[in-house]
Amino acid sequence: MTDTAVKHADAPARRRINYLPYLLSLPALLVCIGILIPFVTAVYYSLQRYRLNLPMMRGFIWFQNYIDFLTDNEFWHTVQVSLEYTVLTVGVELVFGLAIAMLLQKQTRINNLVSILLLLPLMTAPAIAALMWKLMTNPNFGVLSYFVQLLGFNNFKWASDPSTALFTVVLVDVWVYTPFIMILLLAGLRSLPTQPFEAAALDGVPRRFVFFRITLPMLTPYIITAGLFRMLDSIQQFDIIYPMTQGGPGNTLLVFQVRAYLEFYQYTNVGKSAALLIILWAITYALSNVFIKQWLKLRERARGMA
Amino acid sequence: MANLEIRSVSKEFKTGKVLDRISLAADNGEIVAVFGPSGSGKTVLLRLIAGVEQPDEGTILLGGRDVTDRAPETRGVGMAFQNFALFPHMSAFDNVASALTAHKVPRDVIRAKVEKVAALLKIDHVLQHAPRELSNGQKQRTALARALVAEPKILLLDDPLRNVDAKLRYEMRLELPSLLKASGSTVLYVTQDYKEAMALGDRIAVLSDRNFAQIDRPAEIYRTPATLNVASLFGDPTINLMPVEPWTSSAGPKIGIGGAELSLPPGYGHMAGNACVLGLRAENILVEDMASPESLPVEVVAVTPLNERTLLLLRTDDGREILASEAGTNEAPRRHGPAFARFDAEAVLLFDPASGRRIVPQSA
Amino acid sequence: MEHVSLPERVVRGFLIALIVLFFLFPIFWIFLMSFQTNEDILRIPPSLFFTPTLSNYSALITGKLVSTAGTLDIAFMKNLWNSVLLSTASVFIALILGVPAAYAFARFKFRLGEDIAFTLLSFRFAPPLLVLLPLSLYFQQLGLTDTYIGLIWVYQLIALPLILWIVRGYFEDLSPDIEYAYRVAGHSWWRTFTRIAIPLAGPGIAAAGLLAFIFCWNNFVFALILASAEKQPVTVGALAFVTASGIQYGQIAAAIVLSVAPTLALALYAQRYLVEGLSLGAVKG
Repeated sequence: MTDTAVKHADAPARRRINYLPYLLSLPALLVCIGILIPFVTAVYYSLQRYRLNLPMMRGFIWFQNYIDFLTDNEFWHTVQVSLEYTVLTVGVELVFGLAIAMLLQKQTRINNLVSILLLLPLMTAPAIAALMWKLMTNPNFGVLSYFVQLLGFNNFKWASDPSTALFTVVLVDVWVYTPFIMILLLAGLRSLPTQPFEAAALDGVPRRFVFFRITLPMLTPYIITAGLFRMLDSIQQFDIIYPMTQGGPGNTLLVFQVRAYLEFYQYTNVGKSAALLIILWAITYALSNVFIKQWLKLRERARGMA
Repeated sequence: MANLEIRSVSKEFKTGKVLDRISLAADNGEIVAVFGPSGSGKTVLLRLIAGVEQPDEGTILLGGRDVTDRAPETRGVGMAFQNFALFPHMSAFDNVASALTAHKVPRDVIRAKVEKVAALLKIDHVLQHAPRELSNGQKQRTALARALVAEPKILLLDDPLRNVDAKLRYEMRLELPSLLKASGSTVLYVTQDYKEAMALGDRIAVLSDRNFAQIDRPAEIYRTPATLNVASLFGDPTINLMPVEPWTSSAGPKIGIGGAELSLPPGYGHMAGNACVLGLRAENILVEDMASPESLPVEVVAVTPLNERTLLLLRTDDGREILASEAGTNEAPRRHGPAFARFDAEAVLLFDPASGRRIVPQSA
Repeated sequence: MEHVSLPERVVRGFLIALIVLFFLFPIFWIFLMSFQTNEDILRIPPSLFFTPTLSNYSALITGKLVSTAGTLDIAFMKNLWNSVLLSTASVFIALILGVPAAYAFARFKFRLGEDIAFTLLSFRFAPPLLVLLPLSLYFQQLGLTDTYIGLIWVYQLIALPLILWIVRGYFEDLSPDIEYAYRVAGHSWWRTFTRIAIPLAGPGIAAAGLLAFIFCWNNFVFALILASAEKQPVTVGALAFVTASGIQYGQIAAAIVLSVAPTLALALYAQRYLVEGLSLGAVKG
């Protein structure tokens, strides 16, 4: 007996809606809303003249806050300091982190132990790290003050001196975050294919050549990803600078978020503070898009090689 | 009443439609082999019946109940996956027992049933091991045990022998039929190997081009395939296909191949003047040294001895190449050169080139 | 096996030692300082040799500092407790809310899921003050300022996206067939989720939870803005500590040690999970 087609009336096309995923992601949705509402509010405030201590003067001034920034020297100073901070921290951390990763590349017990130990600065709260360094650079009893005196720098005021304040906070940042770069680049180094290196060793290629022409190009995606990640954090730095100097001495270290904080709490200028933050957000939004694209590319590549 | 029935089921993915209004009915205790080339949707079909996927349209009935909208855990089927899908964090024992633990069966009953099935499948000595410690064959039998242990009325086996080495595959192919029959379940057995389908299935459902081209007993599918496609999928070497155009003669319909005139059974008389495709199985061709009526001259171009048979590549005068198969090995191996080929006219198949359907000979 | 020359090995070892020195010295030094009396601290040159004292720690723990100027109440223990409470509760809740959501994102492809994931991801790098400053005004209106509930809710903004990001990847790596097999065997969706999906994603969930705990503990700016003295965790509390008058440096050091001890201990104990989570799956095979 042959059945080729048993004809029945076609059942109506059915599309069952599965409620489960929506139910499960409800809390995540609430968190999203919890982020978006203040965000929209911040945009709203940034378009207003709004000072907490002068509530009756509150009113819409549209983009005046932003335009005022363009002629505000303090604003440009903030931009400059933030950029300096970002470039210095990311630059030093990338170079330093790469160097350490290369030193620890081989999987030996000592190297693994060192990698674990180097995790510790990363795990300390940056705010606490700032306090630690504040203690160490205290002019009266700080051990680091003592050491630099030995090196001949008298009156090295670390964070209290406008000319050395940036150096000090960059140092703290480097101390906290270089291990992060190291972890990423170490993982990257260890995941590189071994054939090119074996071939180079067989051919007797000098090590400097291997590094610049083989290692570095292959590591570039990891370096870019790590660099962008740090850049995103550095440009909005707050946790280290605020405990250290609250933006001082004077206005030396008034980076974006520190300035916004002070505008809000010291000058109660909500509108200006919000506008400043929106500008910062725009920068980080653009950067993060680039970063996410890079990171996804990196993940695809890692998955492809597996 | 059929134990398993699918009616007009369709399923579409982003990549395209995979199943287009297919229907199938399987009786109680029947083993239906679902056979088709890779990517033809066999696994999708099993998933639809198990409830892991939802059909876009159509109905699925198990034991007479409409289960199309019901969740997989309510359907009471047993399924063995192609890549085993064993739970890595549980022992083999717990893997098998998982089909029973959902139904509040007492522990000693579970133990008895698992051990019984394990003994049947010869994995009782590895029950305490984790899946990663098992060989592929043991994993496959654990997956089978898991499907069987709850004695389900419907058993879905997705190419279980695919990832198993050849020797074990051969052994299991001998053991499985009796195992499955003994279980009494209605079985849908998916395979890409036509020999497996023919060995295991009471009936074979050939899935190709989004639908069942034919659902029939193995012998019928082999002897009277419904389409060109089905004919090509069964048989090793693949069936010889030649375009011909019959004409009527005083002795009945005839076709011309390689300069010779060969007779067709009278039932094909109505195809005179129409372009057809002739299907001829290699084992139905006799290669002889002497001419005879109804034979055509050929040249033996290549000879491939396989242990139990010999394959001959023949070339006709008009350049067509035909594969013939001879049983046994000749003491004196056949030599290349001219010969004559004769075939059993009754075994010939004729197909319509446009639709691919087989032309049924009409009775006088 | 490369043949590395002896001079090179020496240089390598020397450099590594320098690096370890640089990164561990501050922790080591503050640790030492916490056991020093004020005189020892103020002595110049600073010395590694001194008689250790536990008075700094006892002052913190008892909450009272007896000095020549009188008795001072120190609320640092409260800060420590706040840190513990906030971090643990936030991570706990974030796991309960986030793991099922991560599962939903991994297994089901639905529009809302992609939108949520995208929003959370893009705000992961947004300046916190952007959200916190307006939020502080809202909190005032809602009476949520300086409450544990308010803070735990806000801490979800830190913990939940992290958990979603990491755990989703682990769920995606699980073969769906294994879950299907369990369901066909007769188990409901929920049992499959709890007995199969979660155990198999265990390492990822642990890594995410650990990382979230550390991030919550180390958080500064959220608590700075939304909490006042009663509910402040150690990060803010320590700062207040430093700027308060009459506090001795030894106690500040002890407070710092107590503030970082939990996260450092966690880091050492669970470093494998940490490194995995930190690499953000960037190099996961």
